[in-house]
Order: sequence, then structure tokens, then C-alpha cells
Amino acid sequence: MFSKPGSGPAVLRKVSQEASKVDPAKRRDFLKKGLAVAGGAVVGVPFASTLSAAENNLPPNLPEWSRSLGAGVITNPYGMPSAFEGEIKRRTVPWLTADRIAAISFTPLAELDGIITPSGLVFERYHAGVPTINPDEYRLMLHGLVENPLIFTIDDLRRFPSTTAINFLECPANGGMEWRAAQMDALQFTHGMISCCEWTGVLLSTLLEEVGVKPEAKWILAEGSDGSHMSRSIPLEKALDDTLIVYAQNGEPLRPEQGYPVRIFNPGWEGNTSVKWLRRLEVGDKPWYHREETSKYTDLLADGRARKFSYVQESNSVVTFPCPEKPLKQKGRYELEGLAWSGSGKIKRVDVSFDGGVNWRQARLKGLVLPKALTRFSLDFTWDGSPALIQSRSVDETGYVQPTFAQLRAARGESSIYHKNAIHTWRLHADGTVTNVQIS
Amino acid sequence: MSRLANRIFVVSLLVAFMSALPAWADSHGKAGQYGIGKAATAEEIAGWDIDIRPDGKGLPPGSGSVEDGEMMYEEKCASCHGSFGEGVGRYPVLSGGEGSLTEPRPEKTVGSYWPYASTLWDYIHRAMPFTQPQSMSDDEVYAITAYVLYLNDLVEDDFVLTAETFTSIEMPNQDGFFLDDRPDTENTTCMEDCKDPASVKILSEPTMVTLAAQEDVAVTEETSSVDDKVYRQACQMCHAAGVAGAPMTGDKAAWAPRLEQGREKLLTGAIEGIGIMPAKGGQKQLSDQEVATALDYMIEQVKQD
Ligand code: HEC
Ligand code: HEC
Repeated sequence: MFSKPGSGPAVLRKVSQEASKVDPAKRRDFLKKGLAVAGGAVVGVPFASTLSAAENNLPPNLPEWSRSLGAGVITNPYGMPSAFEGEIKRRTVPWLTADRIAAISFTPLAELDGIITPSGLVFERYHAGVPTINPDEYRLMLHGLVENPLIFTIDDLRRFPSTTAINFLECPANGGMEWRAAQMDALQFTHGMISCCEWTGVLLSTLLEEVGVKPEAKWILAEGSDGSHMSRSIPLEKALDDTLIVYAQNGEPLRPEQGYPVRIFNPGWEGNTSVKWLRRLEVGDKPWYHREETSKYTDLLADGRARKFSYVQESNSVVTFPCPEKPLKQKGRYELEGLAWSGSGKIKRVDVSFDGGVNWRQARLKGLVLPKALTRFSLDFTWDGSPALIQSRSVDETGYVQPTFAQLRAARGESSIYHKNAIHTWRLHADGTVTNVQIS
Repeated sequence: MSRLANRIFVVSLLVAFMSALPAWADSHGKAGQYGIGKAATAEEIAGWDIDIRPDGKGLPPGSGSVEDGEMMYEEKCASCHGSFGEGVGRYPVLSGGEGSLTEPRPEKTVGSYWPYASTLWDYIHRAMPFTQPQSMSDDEVYAITAYVLYLNDLVEDDFVLTAETFTSIEMPNQDGFFLDDRPDTENTTCMEDCKDPASVKILSEPTMVTLAAQEDVAVTEETSSVDDKVYRQACQMCHAAGVAGAPMTGDKAAWAPRLEQGREKLLTGAIEGIGIMPAKGGQKQLSDQEVATALDYMIEQVKQD
């Protein structure tokens, strides 16, 4: 459940065995405490003393850890989060897919600060599992309507001038379970198919220049090397704009889950076009209409027609505190926080409502405000214990305003699956808990 | 800067800017400027170049009949997609759904939704069977593709699919798609009294319990005298973790009120479906007897002792 190098598996097994005997409602709390115990075991503190030590560690007493030595360097050659944070993890919704191979996991947005998603928490979406690729055996083929078809190794790709950009990556099915009604009981599941990282690689335009694109070229096929051989048609216009051939993420080589050793990355576009484990780019004069741009990733409207090549992730936003995972524990001052983004450029402003959209207040944008990146917003508020219906509404630099559910449904019906970016509502109850609702 | 100098400056900037544009159409001159990468040989390209287009470009020589496809499909595909393409469990449905696209629960299948037959050949060859992608010969792909088309009433039972006969197939929903024309919504940034407070009503709240369910995926390994095969195949996915509010296996408190209804009532619920639980847990192919076996296993896990 929380596999951490060094944490005694026996202890963890005991914790989860104990947990399974506990009333489900109390289980979460129990697990947190159990985890603290397991965490204590990691640094070698005797089991029993940790439990009774809790109060001894508070002022005016000198905490346990101040009176002893901790672990030395390279105890964890590749550092891991604190064992106390074992609940910050990707989660899946088993009933969404037939198995875990062609499946989805979600980023725990409620637990994150700033705009960068740690690599290990980036949501996962695979169609044939994560392949194991030896980088020495990796090749990228670029061919089709080009003067000189070429094959590149990783070393080759790294010799080209590189580009780094901070961009979000979002599955177009993010929130897709909510088209008909509020369904999921956590932010992780209503919005967690989005992450934002720093991506480094070579611009696809540089590679296209190197092979020499023929004048009749209009489209590029990107194809993965995993068992699904995921393939998508990408207009040449985008490929020559900001499409990256990425080999690094947040300063280190791409994670296997993110396409190690090389993926294509289309900033602002539906995540499925950013094909992982990329093996081949073919230049052509027409789109290919493969499964992932016909059967899937087309947006069925109420009249039975479907939108195709709907690439851009339109502006969206959500309040990340308070939210179901982060209720209010007492009355008083708080800073509401949230995330906004747009595949069309920068976020221009975000407004927040506490009364279900009757009145709005402008939030402030915090930290970096970058195009096609997560943008954090916040708003100070005082909670007097009254129930509220909390919403956020983003506006991007093109002037596009995030739509209401009613507007989105009026335009598209309820069967689109993809590109659900409606204003989201959290219901804050008088006891401080928060639930997901849809309102009129 | 004087106005003239200013203008010259702007013009020269423009020229500099334009010549720096990555104008792909005339990039011939610059091709190979880095000299990085190795030329791809025709043979190397042929090995990887597997894509098929709607106009048939990319289809290899070969052929396969509906008749040949039937047996191959039964052997390689039916375990997940069902003998008639109806889908087993949550595995994709490959046939049916005609005319359902405007219904509240549209069924998007090869026959009801896919615009091009080329996509089917391409995808089956590229990714199926799921556990052994690209393990089939071109003739096998032709035959199985023909059979899936047949399951969708798109070809007759004596049809033989080749690169040539391929163009004769008409997909019913070929004209059902249009190019992205968004934005298709227009909201405003109204700040005050944007709607009547009395009009704000809760329309829906979640029925799913997902986060809590995740906390305990670890299934307790208990030995049981009752056969758990069906349970593992069809019920565990929801009942082991309490997905979607399903009473958790082994959770006596959750089962107590249900058990009071008696086994017969529970069995009816399991066979016909109850609340969010689909009939037989979504596995229509199970016999009532098999569902009963699974139920008995679940009941045994919460027996008061
Ligand atoms: C072990 C189970 C399994 C077997 C066997 C299998 N498939 Fe699949 N099939 C899947 C899964 C899972 C998917 C969806 C993959 C994804 O989500 O990307 C799929 C998707 C498909 C699709 C696309 C469906 C759609 O609506 O987009 C087709 C067509 C298909 N399979 C055909 C076949 C054929 C033909 C065979 C036999 C050669 C086969 N499959 C064998 C599991 C299986
Ligand atoms: C997709 C998830 C899912 C699957 C698969 C599933 N169940 Fe359920 N099951 C549920 C849910 C949710 C409930 C609670 C429904 C309610 O009470 O509204 C439930 C309730 C039940 C009940 C209680 C019925 C009652 O009358 O109180 C029984 C018995 C049951 N399931 C048996 C089974 C069996 C046997 C299987 C396998 C053949 C199975 N379930 C598969 C989700 C599932």
C-alpha cells in the first residue's frame, strides 16, 4: 500500500491487517496513525516509545529526534518523500477499465502546492502497460514525405539544441465521469487527470528541418513503441510551432510511466497526442484516422455527430482548498487555493464564488503565470460556519471564459466524454466537510 | 531615432525575422545542417511503417475471408470481446449500437460509430490481441477484420477482404464527424447578482465511494470451503474494496442488514442488479448458478461465528 524502501514490510502488513478490522469510516485516520508508527520504524525508533512519545515531543519538552542521530547520507541514494506522507499517492478507480493495463490513475491535486507536479505523482494513462526500454536500444525514426529519412539515438537527440518549457499535461477525459451528474467524491477523481511539469527536449521543428520536409507535407503521425503502438495524427502547423520531442521531466530523465526514454509533447493539447515511448514520426499529406482519433478522442454531441481533431484543452479551473480531501476544521481565516489552466495560452484572471455563482470575487494569481501551464490562484476568506457553494471561473488571454455546466450541456449534450471543462461546485457543509455537487 | 531611421530599422527587423522563420516549404537547403542521425534504410522503414489510411495506403498484399476469420476470432478475441462482439465484463464491445448515437446511453462500436474500415485493420494489426500485439500474419488480420465487419452486418458471410475489396466497404457513420469548431460556449465575467439566488438548486451529488475504497486494496487472504472462482472473476473488482458503495466482502457490519433479507432476496439482487450494481456484476454470460456460488462465497466471509 505504501511501499517505501527501508520501511519494515512486517510492520506495514501489521498496520494494514489492523486497518482491515477497523470500521471503514475510521480507517483513514487509523492508517495515518499506523503510518506514523511505520515511519518511526524507518529511523529505528523503538515501536512502543513512539506511541507514548507523542506528547513528550511537544514544547516545552525536547523531541526525541533532537536527542538522537538520524540516518546518514545515501541511506536513500534516490530520495523519497517522508514516510509520514504515504497518503500522497496516485489512485485509480478500478471500475473505469477492464484491468490495470489499459487504465488510468489520478494525481492527488489536493495535496500539492505550487504548479509543478512531482514526477512520481503525474497521472498515468496506459493502453498496454509501461514498457521497459533499454535506452541503448532506443531509436526514433523520422520518415515519410521528407528528403532524408533519419534514425536517431538518445545521444543524437541530445546533441540538438534543447528547449525547456513548463506545461500542463491533461487527459481530455479529465472529469469525463461527470458529464451526466456529479459522480466522484474527491478532487483527485474529478480533476486528477492533469499534471504540470518542466519538460526538456528538442523542438520537433528542428528535427523536421534536419530531415527536410517536402512541400506537400501537411500531417505527422506520432507512434509509440509500447504494445498499443498508440498513434495520433498531428497537423504540421502544430509540429512546427511548439511540439517538443522530450527526454527529460522535472530535471531528470523521463519517468518510465511518462514515456522513458522519449515522448512527443504537444503543449496545451489533449494528452493523448503526446505519445509516450515514441518510436516513429511519419510525415504525410493526410491524417490517418486511427483508432485514437475516431473510436476514441472524438466528442459525440447530442445530435449524434461528433467533433474530430478537438486537440486544444480549453480553459478550466478548480478550487483545491477547501475540497473533499481538505475540509475546514474550524471557523476563522483561510486562504482558498485553486488551479487554473488553458491550452490556448496564459490565464488572465480567475473569479471565485461562495454562493453558487450569484456573486463573484476576483482571486489573485500566485507565482508563475505561464502559457499552457497550471496557474495557482488564491483568495483570503473568513469562514463563519455557514454552508457555501464554492466555484471558480477562469478566463484565459484569448478572452475565453470557462463555461457553466448548463452552457456546456446545451452546446454538447451529455455523451461527449471528453473536454469537460465546466465550472465546478464544491458544497461546503456547516461541519466543514466538502462534497462534490452539480447545481442549477 | 528619426522616423526614417525608425522605418528602416523596422523593415530590416522584419526581413531578419522572416528569414529566420522555420519555413518548412523551403527548408531543403537547410536539411542536414546538423549532420546528426543515421540515414534510415528502406528495409528499416518497412519493418516499422505499419500505418494504414482511409484511402487504403499502407495495406499490405494478402486476403482473408469471413469464414476463416470466424475461427481465428473465436480463438484469439472472443474471450474478451465476446463471440458476437458483445464484450465480456468491461472489455470493449465491438458490434451493435446502430442508431444509438443520439440516445442517452450511446453505444459506440465499429458498426455504429467508426468512420473508416481502414482503422479496424490498422488497430487490430497494431494492438490486438491485447496480450500479444503484432503477433498475427497479414492474412490473419485480413480474416479477423472481415469477421468483425461481418459481426457488424457490414459485409456478407461470403466476403473476402483484400486491399482491393476493402474500398467497397461503406461505414454507416462515415459522415458523422466534423472538424473542431470550438469555442462553442460563451460565458461572461458577470460579478454581481448574476442569477436569482432562489434558482440555485443542487442537481446531483456523488453516489460513488472512491477515495475511501482505495485505502484498503489489500485483500485479506482467507481460505474458504466455498469456491471463489466466480467471485474473483466477476465480483471482487467491486466488492473487495467497496467500490461504488458495494458492501465490502468480509465487512460484517455492512452485510448484517443485507443478510437479514435472506439469501433468496440477495441472490435476486445479484442476478438482476441492484442500485448501481449491474445484473450479475456486468457479466451477462454467467449462469444464475454461478452467481449463486459467488454469493455463497461472499456470505461465508461474513458468517457470524
Ligand atoms: C485479453 C483481452 C483481449 C483480447 C484477447 C483481445 N482484446 Fe481487443 N481490446 C482489449 C482491450 C483492453 C481493449 C481496449 C484497449 C485500450 O483501452 O486502449 C481492446 C480494444 C479493441 C478494439 C477497439 C475497440 C474500440 O471500440 O475502440 C478492437 C477493434 C479490438 N480490441 C479487437 C480485437 C480483436 C480483433 C482481437 C483478436 C485478435 C482482440 N481484440 C483480442 C482486450 C482484448
Ligand atoms: C460494478 C461493481 C459491482 C460488481 C462487479 C458486483 N457488484 Fe454486487 N454490488 C455493487 C454495489 C454498488 C452494491 C450496492 C447496491 C445498492 O445497495 O444500491 C452491490 C450489492 C450487492 C449485493 C447486495 C444486494 C442486496 O439486495 O442488498 C449482493 C448480494 C451482491 N452485490 C452480489 C454480487 C455478486 C455475486 C457479484 C458478482 C457476480 C457482484 N455483486 C458484482 C457493485 C458491484
